[in-house]
Amino acid sequence: MSTVASKTAALPARFGRAPRIRAHLRKDKSTGLPRPPVNIVTREFAPCRLEDHYYNTLQDDLMYMTYHHEHLPRPPPRQIRLKFDPNDPYSKNRHNPSVGGSQIGKKPPPPSTASNVIKLEKIVVHTMVKEALQSKSNLLGAIIAMRALTGENHKAGGRHAVDGIQIVKGKKSVGGWIRPGVPVGVKVELKGPSMYEFISSLVEFVLPRLREFNGVVLPPQSSSVNTPSAVSGVVSFGLPPQAMGFFPQIEVNQDAYPKMYGMHIHFVTNATGVGAENRARALVSGFQIPFIRR
Amino acid sequence: MFRRQAISCLRRTPQSRTLATEASSTETSRPQPVLSKKPKPRLSTAIILNRSPILTRSPTSFENAYYTYQARVRRALHQPFPYDFYFKQGSLLETRFNLEEKDREKASFGPTFVQDDYQDLAKVEADKAAVKLLAQQEGEGESLAPREHPSDKSGDIKSLDRAGERNLYLLLKSKENGKDVWRFPQGGVETTDFLHQAAQKDLHAECGEGIDTWIVSRAPIGVYKPPQSDPSAPEDVVFFYKAHIMAGQVRPAEGIQDFAWLTKQEIEQRLDKDYWGNVKDMLSDF
Repeated sequence: MSTVASKTAALPARFGRAPRIRAHLRKDKSTGLPRPPVNIVTREFAPCRLEDHYYNTLQDDLMYMTYHHEHLPRPPPRQIRLKFDPNDPYSKNRHNPSVGGSQIGKKPPPPSTASNVIKLEKIVVHTMVKEALQSKSNLLGAIIAMRALTGENHKAGGRHAVDGIQIVKGKKSVGGWIRPGVPVGVKVELKGPSMYEFISSLVEFVLPRLREFNGVVLPPQSSSVNTPSAVSGVVSFGLPPQAMGFFPQIEVNQDAYPKMYGMHIHFVTNATGVGAENRARALVSGFQIPFIRR
Repeated sequence: MFRRQAISCLRRTPQSRTLATEASSTETSRPQPVLSKKPKPRLSTAIILNRSPILTRSPTSFENAYYTYQARVRRALHQPFPYDFYFKQGSLLETRFNLEEKDREKASFGPTFVQDDYQDLAKVEADKAAVKLLAQQEGEGESLAPREHPSDKSGDIKSLDRAGERNLYLLLKSKENGKDVWRFPQGGVETTDFLHQAAQKDLHAECGEGIDTWIVSRAPIGVYKPPQSDPSAPEDVVFFYKAHIMAGQVRPAEGIQDFAWLTKQEIEQRLDKDYWGNVKDMLSDF
């Protein structure tokens, strides 16, 4: 171990003389800037502590905790209605009704294997700004705060799948409150290292300093386990506006922002089927986010 | 009434016998199943008590080179930093940030990359002195705790602080049939207990009450059937449970001679070959 540490400490970035430019790069017509011959993409530039924690400890434990033993292969799904066959003279030209009843909350989870252990896929941070209904310029403060908070940017680092800060627009018309197409909030999707970085600043700086926060409140035991929200495998909770000031990214110059914004945080996991919510909570509590029952 | 009886009769009739046949002849000739004389197996639980890594893994030289390269790419492409948003103009914090940023640029792109366009040498020296004073006030420059614990140097395998980057597991040494044997903590199961409860009890029985542990799952993570010399004796079945140690240290019970916190590779040298073959897949390689 000591030899590894000494080797790594001695590793410098080596600088030589830059190679002689033989052929100049083609220039972009619109900007006049040279275009690199390859797409430059930035990747991880530091080891990720919480990701290591997941692969070292959490993944094994969660596999053991959520393992459900099935000694026989699963029976094929029950065909509750005849399949629609357009060539059958009976069903030809008839209306093809959809299968009745919602099956979404009743599907069993996929069989437990080592390859589908529960995993955090992304975190969505979302904030609604009510004043944006009067003037959309009121969204600017929230956009600035979210950028400082998450460091996300549209197509940052040459990655086409990174959306950065997205504007959320109204979908429905609710009398005197919201209209379709009106920008009312901002959201950010965090994946990979930035997701783990967000968790660590949340758990180490924000939650311990929040007054009257004992944990994320669990739904009462009497609540249904078959609702779409109970089988989606997403853990959600909200933070009050004063919590934003506790993030070190915002804390350094809190006065520069017009105001503090509250936020909803959604931990999206790959869990599906009955009991997905509980498995997702087990994963999230592994990152030291507390849960309490009222 | 009669009709209902008839229907129920139909339901009960097995499909295979539709015609009246001599049923008695086939049923009596069927051989009786031979009941095994073997006694019930003896259950016991063993606990794989794990100390998770307490330090981040130090990257390999290849990983380090990769991270250095990616950091340079990122620095070359990043958007301009909004100084005026984060710092009051001319403040000491801004001066410190500018000086540090120059050092970082030099480290990324070479000593010739940054031009030192000093207008006023006296002011630069004053700035540097002020930043140095600020660093002293904030307590910077204090050396961090070493990644290597004293127990690593002394070879103390009982310390929980040893090998901070690795997963450690608890092994106990006890005397079995007049031989010293290394094994995981283990104990029997009483008929009224669940297996995971028995595991917790057995762990405390062998390692003392001075440890705070957590049994990870209710289901066992593995099973081991020790080889038996006497085939008529009850079979031994050992169920393995994973547990984490949160606090405290092992205080071995009377029958236990010694204990050690070991990595997977160190465990292999101490265990019996048959036992090792059964437990090796339950331990983390690193």
